[in-house]
Amino acid sequence: MPDPLARSLRSPRVLIALGLALCIAICALFAGALAPHNPAEQNLLAILAPPAWAHGGDPSFLLGTDSLGRDVLSRLIYGARTAMIVAFCASIGAMIIGAILAHIAGYFGGAVDWIIGRLVDVWMSFPPVILSLILMVGLGVGLDRVILAIVLVDWTRFCRVLRSEVLIVTRHDYVAAARLLGFTHWQTIIREVFPATLPLLITLISLEMAIAVVVEAILSFVGLGVGANEVAWGQMIADARQYVYQSPWNLLLPMLCIFLAVAAFNLLGDGLRRTLDVRLAETGR
Amino acid sequence: MIATVAKLIACRLLAAIPILLVVSALLFCVLRFLPIDPAAMSLPPNATIEEVEAQRHQMGLDRPLPEQYLIWLKGALHGDFGRSIALRREAGALVANTLPVTIQLAVAAMVLAAIFGVGGGLLLFHLRGTLFETAADFVSILLLSIPEFLWGLILLFVFGVTLRVLPFTGEVAPNLPIPHITGFLLLDSFLVGRVDVFASAVAHLILPALALGLAFSPAIMRVLRSSLFDVYHEDYIQQARLRGLSERQILLGHAFKNASLPTLTLAGVQFGILFSGTLLVEVIYSYPGMGNLMVDAVRNADLPLIQAIGLTYCVVVLIINTLVDSLYVVLNPKLRVR
Repeated sequence: MPDPLARSLRSPRVLIALGLALCIAICALFAGALAPHNPAEQNLLAILAPPAWAHGGDPSFLLGTDSLGRDVLSRLIYGARTAMIVAFCASIGAMIIGAILAHIAGYFGGAVDWIIGRLVDVWMSFPPVILSLILMVGLGVGLDRVILAIVLVDWTRFCRVLRSEVLIVTRHDYVAAARLLGFTHWQTIIREVFPATLPLLITLISLEMAIAVVVEAILSFVGLGVGANEVAWGQMIADARQYVYQSPWNLLLPMLCIFLAVAAFNLLGDGLRRTLDVRLAETGR
Repeated sequence: MIATVAKLIACRLLAAIPILLVVSALLFCVLRFLPIDPAAMSLPPNATIEEVEAQRHQMGLDRPLPEQYLIWLKGALHGDFGRSIALRREAGALVANTLPVTIQLAVAAMVLAAIFGVGGGLLLFHLRGTLFETAADFVSILLLSIPEFLWGLILLFVFGVTLRVLPFTGEVAPNLPIPHITGFLLLDSFLVGRVDVFASAVAHLILPALALGLAFSPAIMRVLRSSLFDVYHEDYIQQARLRGLSERQILLGHAFKNASLPTLTLAGVQFGILFSGTLLVEVIYSYPGMGNLMVDAVRNADLPLIQAIGLTYCVVVLIINTLVDSLYVVLNPKLRVR
């Protein structure tokens, strides 16, 4: 499908989003080389320093320091790494579970479809924030646990939307033709049905990455996300909230990072949805 | 008409019961498999192993899991969710005290979300075909990228910290009494005739409700706009134009009515999500609702309280969804005749 792909790469929306996402991804990948300081290094002589351009700023701490004298810029860069790992792994994980169940449900129909449908119903009657909090109680804090919690909460988004797509694709003649040629059910699903749902899948992954960034920030904000030794934007916000009068920058900068990351993935998802021209049954929230 | 609607709502609520049973069982199992011992937690740290065992027996933790679930379910049906381990009070009473606070916040936020959503949607649609269309569309996606907790912090920072025009902690000024009649502070302060309490409660409600409302309006905005686009392809719009109606009359009198149906469905779904979104906003504004209680319970691994609050959230969201479904049938004549 080179044509729709080329078309989406010409869309300004997709290009802006890709550019932004790429910047964040580079920060995440090369955090060690880009960060001027060790993000955990405390400098108790320079706590809550303002950014370098503000009055009283220290040029060696470009964006200032937090309440323990840690360099904010370095923490933002390492926070990008946490956010990107979570966004990438969680959305891929949720996609795998959701897509497999959706293809099984949509392709085979009948009782299997009914059971998976009810499972999704029950799962979705838990409000996502509540379910992820409850899961974090059980799983404990840590990067891998956050990813697992998001996967366990959000696979239903993929499953519901993809199932109706699979249902439509399965009715096409070329799927029946594949069966007549002697393809097994699994061969048909993998070679004929799956490629047709791929554009929708890519759009959904992009939107899910935006959701994962928000959920990770929320969990870290309430202190149930990554561990205390890891850096996360949500954690930085929770910390800066206590010193908001002394150092408003510490609160605003991680918020800006979260917004940029979420906006990049939402824009990308929206641009892909338009250019890949798929029916998205639901809005991206 | 009213009888059919009542019957419909009753049917939908009955259909939600099996889902609720499965949800409660799941909730119970997930929390029972945790490496947490509620018996040991409810005793002082120097309790002997025998004392912990006795406590386990007393709490029924040594029985098989299905039996434990049935005991808990029986209690829950009577409003008895057990005692909170950390707060040493009845979990049911704690939920009953905080639920009205959260409902009040959610309703206020939903009203704001509907106002912004409908206004924004009409504006977006009005801008179609102009130079601003792409820009407005772009902005609406950016707005969609600000979750409620970022709005909460932004508003707190701008109106609470920088401009200092609105209060941002608690539900009422700390020196004022909180009347308890229905639990809904706005209503109660009105009932006891305390204008000062009422005014303070409104001032404390503005920022949290605004944060939630702003976070949930872009989705409503975008759906209203796209359903207006769909409606404008229909013949009756052309017909209305031929009859000489003004564009404004067509938009508000004909198109908006028909476009509001899909919008309403989405708004209903959104209201369910918004209700659980109150959790973070409550944490940010120290608003004493169920969300704050939940986060405390989660931090303390307070199992009975987590179960009670978790189930309450699910029940409220299921009820909201049921009511929205029914409302949809009421408003859409096509669905009424089966």
